[in-house]
Amino acid sequence: MFVSKGKSLLIMALIIATALAGCSKDNAAQGTAAGSVQTDKTITVSWPRDIGTMNPHVYNPSQLIAQSMIYEPLVSYKEGGKLEPHLAESWDISKDGKEYTFKLRKNVKFSDGTDFNAAVVKKNFDAIMKNIKNHSWLGFLNVLDKTEAVDEHTFKMTLKQPYYPTVQELSVVRPVRFLGEAGFPDDGDTSKVVKKPVGTGPWMLSEYKKDEYAEFIPNPNYWGDKPKINKLVIKVIPDGETRVLAFEKKELDLIYGEGVISMDAFKQLKASGKYDTSLSEPIATREVLMNTSKDILSDLRVRLALHHGFNKQAMVDGITSGLEEKADNILSKNLPYTNIDVKPLEYNVDKAKAYLEEAGWKLPAGKTVREKDGKPLELELLYEKSDQVQKPMAETLQAEWGAIGVKLNIKSLEITEHVKRLRAADFDLYFWSNYGAPYDPHSFINIAATNSYGISESLANLPMKKELDQQINEAFLTTDESKRQQLYSSILKTLQEQATFLPISYLKKTAVYQKDVKGFVFPSNRDDNPFLGLDKANK
Amino acid sequence: MLSYIGKRILAIIPIFLFAAFLSFAMIHLSPVDPAEVYLTAAHIHPTEELLAEVRHEFGLDRPLFVQYVNSLIKISRLDFGTSYITKEPVWREVAQRMPATLQLAFSSIILAVLISVPIGFLSAVYKNGIIDHVTRLLAFIGASIPQFWLGYLLVYFLSVKLDLLPVQGRGTWAHLVLPSFTLALGLIAIYSRLLRTSVLEQMQEPYVLYARARGIKEKVIMGKHVLKIAISPMITGLGMNLGKLLSGTIIVEVVFSWPGFGRYFVDSILNRDIPVIQCYVLLAACLFIVCNLIVDLLQMAMDPRISRKGRTGL
Repeated sequence: MFVSKGKSLLIMALIIATALAGCSKDNAAQGTAAGSVQTDKTITVSWPRDIGTMNPHVYNPSQLIAQSMIYEPLVSYKEGGKLEPHLAESWDISKDGKEYTFKLRKNVKFSDGTDFNAAVVKKNFDAIMKNIKNHSWLGFLNVLDKTEAVDEHTFKMTLKQPYYPTVQELSVVRPVRFLGEAGFPDDGDTSKVVKKPVGTGPWMLSEYKKDEYAEFIPNPNYWGDKPKINKLVIKVIPDGETRVLAFEKKELDLIYGEGVISMDAFKQLKASGKYDTSLSEPIATREVLMNTSKDILSDLRVRLALHHGFNKQAMVDGITSGLEEKADNILSKNLPYTNIDVKPLEYNVDKAKAYLEEAGWKLPAGKTVREKDGKPLELELLYEKSDQVQKPMAETLQAEWGAIGVKLNIKSLEITEHVKRLRAADFDLYFWSNYGAPYDPHSFINIAATNSYGISESLANLPMKKELDQQINEAFLTTDESKRQQLYSSILKTLQEQATFLPISYLKKTAVYQKDVKGFVFPSNRDDNPFLGLDKANK
Repeated sequence: MLSYIGKRILAIIPIFLFAAFLSFAMIHLSPVDPAEVYLTAAHIHPTEELLAEVRHEFGLDRPLFVQYVNSLIKISRLDFGTSYITKEPVWREVAQRMPATLQLAFSSIILAVLISVPIGFLSAVYKNGIIDHVTRLLAFIGASIPQFWLGYLLVYFLSVKLDLLPVQGRGTWAHLVLPSFTLALGLIAIYSRLLRTSVLEQMQEPYVLYARARGIKEKVIMGKHVLKIAISPMITGLGMNLGKLLSGTIIVEVVFSWPGFGRYFVDSILNRDIPVIQCYVLLAACLFIVCNLIVDLLQMAMDPRISRKGRTGL
């Protein structure tokens, strides 16, 4: 009996010892590798999901962050919505706004050494257009008539009708980035598979283990400034808390993204002083959408009362710990055409109550909920079940609006059901946020005028809806820059005045990195990666 | 005995059909429209015409009974359809991830047995002694602590603070230690108490008294006779707890970034990847059925009286 006990203890000890030995050997191996090559600089980051297939023309489950490392656009989206040359050195737009001619950058090579030229650009567009159904969300592809390789370095696209955001849309991560000749399957249809991920970007995929990690090394043929590190590892870590623990153990150099760690964890890491942290510019606006097609909310005075009826600053500070910034504009000002000044609808309970009184919603004696013609002032706000911020915000609104006599029912829904209700415009109030750069502001005004997304439907009862739609259409068609700015200002001003969108806060990306990581900058394009400028200080 | 086994295997069929029906019904009862999920995943804006087209393509516009029979025929060919998200055959996706999950599950079982047998046995032998108290405490903790929390605690102390083991990932043996132990602790709690009770029961049996009377050494009595018989209920427990183990891997795989099937399942739920969910439900049902069968057969092999009961009982 004691022998068996002894044996099992011995076996346990052996298991643990082997495990520990394996672990320390691992570290030792890493140590020698670092010693032998002096300039070995590896940065390890985490991502919640596997990077997926590195095909530039497909969506889920391929991850934008990795696609943007390998493939490049003709035009890149920079700070403040400035569009800068990337693979295209310059471009001309014909007077009628239909013909786009791009002068391609010379001496650009794919990672396999082949040339980047107009023929391969056209080949990529052909592959994209073959499956236009998958890409119909991208406006300019819907009006794309034909593409041609004029000469080796000139590529021309002709549209069926003018569509001003074309150049901006060329900066998105997918599907309009370029795969090298060697990556194309024999039938040229990239919608399912590519032979290998050959791009012009600064990185190449060197090792990949599904669901575990992906390693990228610099592309030796890269035309621009080369990465300063030799390797970038993306580890797949689905859980936010684990990500933080791995970071604290220095298994990760950088945690970057939107909501990749909890706000508490971010604050805690920041407060420890052991790491560097940063917050991005606004990437989108968190807002509550009010459905004007519902009886109660069709009244502007009720909407205004709701705007005035809660302490926005306190709510944003309290719930997001200052990681989000209080918002007054529907679209943040760092997007093109959105730099308009609005008069903030400040926190003012008396004003809110006065608006409700004026709209006929009176508070009967002894009751807490206002009534009009015997009907109580009752609204429903939908929020997404798994969202860590929406729930406390909904609860705060419930309490705050309760104080002005509005009964707010809050309802949590699973994401699919949530989105379905939006599309059907089957809600009173809905947490919503815009798409961000490089999709906005044009995607925003597009869905404000197009049915079946739920936004246009919920604006339906605005007295000037028709006019608004007309202005939006005109903004897409006009080739006159100043007129477009004027249209945007007018559209956004109308929407602000009509108070159907209740801006709450600007969403921001967070980054936490070890002290030896240098050169971290948030990309202006929401979907792009921040890896190119990264460097690691020698210890 | 053979006819007993045959009957048991035949009995699997209705159970399986019921499980298949349940998983099928679940999908149709949920408010989520598979066609819409499919289009959303493919980044296509779901208009009514497109939805109708996809429903037709998937056969979702046919009568429910026809859909059910069709799905049964497909399942019998191990065809669980194509994942909405990855566009790969579900069966292949599952098969790719199975080894990682099985590795984790097996190492946990082995760890659980290796730890719970000695401590369970010793706590019975030294009843109310220190070992017994410590085991009781361990069992109490193991049974009540949520696995994800235990996982974080272990990672925090052993990996982050003491720097002994990696936080997450898979590859070396070191990576296996924490997730296996996290999964195993719950099982250890159950098995050690189960074995303790069982050993104590056996110690009251007349054969122990008789053996002692014959002057056989206590060590031999306990080790050779009592333990061998007392371990039998543990096997039942093991079989019944495989389900717990399976649900446990889901959480543990997420906490430790273990690239297994459980994590894939969690992603699929979040993405509403219906074919994968369906496949998982069926696989889980199969696992339960097969494990129960194996446990019953093992029990029968160890105690032939069961087989006789079986023959007359069925």
